[in-house]
Amino acid sequence: MSKDSPEEESRAPGSGGGGGAGKGGSRRNRADDNVTILTSSMDFYRAGRSRASSSSLTSSVELSSSSLETSIQTRIFKIIVIGDSNVGKTCLTFRFTGGSFPDKTEATIGVDFREKPVEIEGETIKVQVWDTAGQERFRKSMVEHYYRNVHAVVFVYDVTKMASFRNLQTWIEECNGHRVSASVPRVLVGNKCDLVDQIQVPSNMALKFADSHNMLLFETSAKDPKESQNVDSIFMSLACRLKAQKSLLYRDVEREDGRVRLTQETETKTNCPC
Amino acid sequence: MRKHKRKKQGGFGGSENGCVTRESDCGRKHKLTVIHQALIRDPVDIETLRRTAATKGGLLTDELRRKVWPKLLNINVYDLPHKPGRDVRENHKDYNQVVMDVRRSMKRFPKGMPAAERAVLQEQLIDIILEVLKRNPQLHYYQGYHDVAVTLLLVVGERMTIALLDKLSNVHLRDFMDATMDSTKHILNYLMPILEQVDVELHDFMNRAEVGTIFALSWLITWYGHVLSDFKHTLRLYDFFLASHPLMPIYLAATIVLHREKEVKQTECDMAMVHHLLSQIPQNLPYELLIGQAQDLFEQYPPSLLAKRAALQSRKSLSISSFQAFHLSTLHQRPDSVLQRLTRAQDSTTSRHGLEASLPAAQGQLWREGNRMMKMAVWGLSATLGAAVFAVAQTAMDWGPDLILQLF
Ligand SMILES: Nc1nc2c(ncn2[C@@H]2O[C@H](COP(=O)(O)OP(=O)(O)OP(=O)(O)O)[C@@H](O)[C@H]2O)c(=O)[nH]1
Ligand SMILES: [Mg+2]
Repeated sequence: MSKDSPEEESRAPGSGGGGGAGKGGSRRNRADDNVTILTSSMDFYRAGRSRASSSSLTSSVELSSSSLETSIQTRIFKIIVIGDSNVGKTCLTFRFTGGSFPDKTEATIGVDFREKPVEIEGETIKVQVWDTAGQERFRKSMVEHYYRNVHAVVFVYDVTKMASFRNLQTWIEECNGHRVSASVPRVLVGNKCDLVDQIQVPSNMALKFADSHNMLLFETSAKDPKESQNVDSIFMSLACRLKAQKSLLYRDVEREDGRVRLTQETETKTNCPC
Repeated sequence: MRKHKRKKQGGFGGSENGCVTRESDCGRKHKLTVIHQALIRDPVDIETLRRTAATKGGLLTDELRRKVWPKLLNINVYDLPHKPGRDVRENHKDYNQVVMDVRRSMKRFPKGMPAAERAVLQEQLIDIILEVLKRNPQLHYYQGYHDVAVTLLLVVGERMTIALLDKLSNVHLRDFMDATMDSTKHILNYLMPILEQVDVELHDFMNRAEVGTIFALSWLITWYGHVLSDFKHTLRLYDFFLASHPLMPIYLAATIVLHREKEVKQTECDMAMVHHLLSQIPQNLPYELLIGQAQDLFEQYPPSLLAKRAALQSRKSLSISSFQAFHLSTLHQRPDSVLQRLTRAQDSTTSRHGLEASLPAAQGQLWREGNRMMKMAVWGLSATLGAAVFAVAQTAMDWGPDLILQLF
């Protein structure tokens, strides 16, 4: 007997899989699910929060739309940002979620979390960005936890530092080592393009690399205000991609196997659960 | 439900909001006297110093910190390491990372400090960190180590920071400085068992959310220096941690989470949401209360008890294993007046060391008081002052900025 309500299905308690103990009482999906559906209650909670310090790095939760409160469910899109220390991961994620270039960043210790709701074709999607520490020692045991169930990976290098580009290979291995599925979209970002006279990594070189790893390449600057749209488009393009896979995701949730995988199938369906 | 009892706090120091009542003023004076007496006892009354560092108000002033911190770590202030030479920056594998982190650490310096002065301190910071790493090839730099170093530097100056940081790195911070973060993770693994002892419901909630413990990582490895924006809170905690077992920061982490128990339970039971909530430390936590609670938890559920648990058994903590010997070494220290004589007898040139040892400390204090004239004065002083004036300075029990000014 097939069920008509994927939403209900998605809220069913844990159904096996590698996620460890069941998450009874949780309103979200199994940890293994690739799409997370939240009911509106928490949007109320978040909407009620002050947005006092958009300039503060630590509270960059921004609400772009009041329609949040009325949405039945908000899908969450989880992105992890990786790359060498000092390439500008924190600045890029803050430019996206906070809308500006932070005048003082500090070394990221462990993992910082930022999020921003974005609206795509009338649907609000919450983009969660996990900004990781670049120093090698944090990669292995510390950041591991945050690779789980990511919907996309953003690799960042510094266009003025060849070493940060060369290290991408180890970052890719790192990512694969954490068993991020090959179907999870990855993009490559060359940051600090505003430093035009210090560029060490030529565009065609980066492009070749991106192509060979099936990634989109963005060359941009977290600092240059003229580039801010460009920074947004990195995350938005990923969000759109998720959006395009929407029907698939819901359908997969219906399958009740608790192990949804993003694939490249793009079947258009209209089984919106709302 | 919290099982642990509240420890009575001594009535020392100003009240929480900074308004000093007559009574607490008196308590403060009393505490100052107690600390001074402990310092001149022979051997130094280290237990009293430890206690006063943990009780209300901590060590009260930077001037006292400059005297007590070295005692807490068994450092002879008359025999401090020399200023690092230029070669300290050559060929060190961590050089680039240290520079990147220190250059980005502007937030850690007092707001009013002129950029030029901050830049001088930042360069000192790079040298200090590299010097300690060079002395200890077994230690590895981690992002966050610079937050510890800067806290020390702002209080005690360059040379004493090298000595303190060297000692801390070999004991309290040792686990964080392995080649990998596995030992650090091991220390973080104490957090959930502590929570479980006190509040099973909260513990289970956090387990369900699969939040992990990384939200407390920067708290632990920087002794909260990375996450607190008010330097006086950072100092208060440093007083406490310098006087405590290396695992105390994780007990404090537990009390912070317990303190926010309601908020946590009201949050969506989701990794991202709980991580986000917990990783943002509210800026005005009741630190005096939390410190007392952390001590209570430590007494009630000591590391040895928690370590019986499977998850904590497998690994040996170098911080914990070296702490015993370290602790013993602090018990037989001579007071500064004796140390000074002994050290001078040992090395006829030590008077200069002593002077330099003390001066940068005064600098830190002056900077925070924001008096430029005095800063310039001290800068000049360290270059020109002779041994005669040094002797005057050392005999004054409470020598400080005022005294230094009088010297001109
Ligand atoms: N000129 C220029 N500087 C930038 C840009 N983005 C970041 N920076 C600077 O580069 C430095 C590092 O930026 P962060 O965002 O802290 O680097 P990160 O990748 O997060 O580094 P870790 O946290 O150590 O991994 C900071 O000093 C920034 O101000 C950019 O687009 N242009
Ligand atoms: Mg960062």
